[in-house]
Amino acid sequence: MISRTQRILFWAIVWFSIVILSVPTLIVVGASLTAGNIISFPPEGLSLKWYGEIAMARDLRGAFGRSIIVSLICLAVSVPVGTLAGLALTRFRLRFTNAIQVYLLLPFTIPLIGSGIGMMLVFGSWRILGNVWPVGVALAAINIPFIIWSVSSSAASLDGDLELAAANCGAGRVETFLHVTLPGVMPGVITGGLLMFVLAMTEFLVSLLLTDARTVTLPVQIYNNIRSIITPDLAAVSSVFVVIALFAVWLLDRLVGLEIFLKSK
Amino acid sequence: MKQGAPAETSREKSEIKRPVAVRARDLTMDFGDGAPAVDRASFDLETGRFLTILGPSGSGKTTLLRMIAGFQKPTSGEITVNGHAVDATPPHRRSVGMVFQRLALFPHMTAAENVAFPLKMRRYDPRSVPGRVRDFLDLVKLGDYGERRINELSGGQQQRVAIARALVFEPELLLLDEPLAALDRKLREEMQLEFRRIQHELGVTTINVTHDQREALVVSDDIIVMDGGRIQQHARPVELYRMPENTFVAGFLGVSTFVAGTAFPGGLKSGDLHLSGTHAGEIAEGTPVRGAIRAEQIRIVAAPDSLATCDTAFPSRILDVIFEGERLLYVAESDRLPGVAFQVYHHDTEAFDLYEIGAQVTIGWNARDMKIFKSTA
Ligand SMILES: Nc1ncnc2c1ncn2[C@@H]1O[C@H](COP(=O)(O)OP(=O)(O)O)[C@@H](O)[C@H]1O
Ligand SMILES: [Mg+2]
Repeated sequence: MISRTQRILFWAIVWFSIVILSVPTLIVVGASLTAGNIISFPPEGLSLKWYGEIAMARDLRGAFGRSIIVSLICLAVSVPVGTLAGLALTRFRLRFTNAIQVYLLLPFTIPLIGSGIGMMLVFGSWRILGNVWPVGVALAAINIPFIIWSVSSSAASLDGDLELAAANCGAGRVETFLHVTLPGVMPGVITGGLLMFVLAMTEFLVSLLLTDARTVTLPVQIYNNIRSIITPDLAAVSSVFVVIALFAVWLLDRLVGLEIFLKSK
Repeated sequence: MKQGAPAETSREKSEIKRPVAVRARDLTMDFGDGAPAVDRASFDLETGRFLTILGPSGSGKTTLLRMIAGFQKPTSGEITVNGHAVDATPPHRRSVGMVFQRLALFPHMTAAENVAFPLKMRRYDPRSVPGRVRDFLDLVKLGDYGERRINELSGGQQQRVAIARALVFEPELLLLDEPLAALDRKLREEMQLEFRRIQHELGVTTINVTHDQREALVVSDDIIVMDGGRIQQHARPVELYRMPENTFVAGFLGVSTFVAGTAFPGGLKSGDLHLSGTHAGEIAEGTPVRGAIRAEQIRIVAAPDSLATCDTAFPSRILDVIFEGERLLYVAESDRLPGVAFQVYHHDTEAFDLYEIGAQVTIGWNARDMKIFKSTA
């Protein structure tokens, strides 16, 4: 039985976590609704004028568009690569599985500043710096472990005999992959894909190193603006990010169900 | 040991010789880590019959089945199905339906989509698919559940979907790899009878794998007992139970007491005690042997003279009394055979608490019930 003290302690921890996690978001959203001209919480009066400002601001709008493009490129690269890698690691008996696994998780162990500078040098020598697409590829590379992990955990929950059962039903290798294996891991692919999209939308450090004035993405643009003056429009932009993230979670729930996402190891 | 098996069940009365559906010759699978998983297995299975491969865990049953399904290439030996060698045929081109141990249903499809899948893959006329799916869902009594997802079905219902999926394309051969092992006993027994019914209705040649001797005896026309990758005996259920060919089979089916000794004509010698019994095959005098007597063939009484009809009888002491519901199991030991714990079933429901632990009794049996085998170890 859970004693009274344990119950109180438990709820205290739960509420502490909820407050800690949500307070920054609430403050930012609150501050974005101010009617005044300086960022403050609680806001001075209520208005949506700063949302009007950012909608009109050309630099923010341009950066937002580029962020979307970068995120889509990141998806286009990471979904096929991550799906195949995740499947290869779990559904096929490969030699060196462990070594490959460690290699694919390497991006996690290298500090972002390190990989950022590395990619800046490489992209520079290839003369592709200054384009938008290399940023998407770079973000796919640094975050690829997330989608591999998501697909692998989805694949590991499938019965090991599933492909044999498909063969027994008369499906060749390609048909088995298209009709059985791939649909079976689809929850992991969707989860991983949304995660990659949100991570690419909000990535800052590597993007900072790989962009210039013409290719700047939204998080970097926000940072540039902070360096001059802090106005409530930044709080409004941050709120937009929050809405995008919430939308991703809602989409995830609709497509695969949140409980699957939370259950995956 | 195929001499005159008596006509036991209604199915076996019609002893027409049927064509051979599956023929295995010296089938061997060696994974290269010690003894082969399957060692020179040879057997014939007639069309329309229900064969069970019975053996303990690790005896090579799944490996044997996977070679027949085409998932594993035998190290040596050959398999023919309906007269055609299948060794070069990939699994998806074989006409074999399989129900897997953990079912391996496709989780992203409904029950009906699972059943339709083999028809799509095997290029059936799309117009015929819905009707066929319905027929087979009806066959397994799931007519109203076609639109359910797999995780919305109970364990028994999932079994039925797996059976329908394996049978819907009318394979030449149905393979069952212990699909009932995970079910609780009542459901398992119900599904065993379902397998019988469906197999009967369609007449499909079936190979079933199990480690449950009761299931093997209940559902099969033929049983192959396997141990350590080798076929120990291949016989009809009654023949197998009554006439085991070696100590492994005698010990695996039913409950038996073993007595070690040396052979002599008409029995075995243990120390200076002579026990009469029936030799399984030719056994030279002096060969080390083991005698086996089944628990239901030993009689137990309080007074020695009421065992006058038994060939062998001697005084014993009750070591343990185990209540098994429909019967009692007595464990008894005799001073004349120290170290042998006789297991004796007692069915007399009127007198259930006849003997207590420590009671002096007499046990006895008939010579024909004491089977004597060459010692293997
Ligand atoms: N793919 C494999 N690689 C190596 N050894 C295997 C493989 N499959 C089965 N075995 C071995 O073969 C033996 C028989 O296994 P199996 O056919 O699964 O037995 P059963 O189904 O009777 O329990 C076991 O000792 C098992 O470890
Ligand atoms: Mg097995």
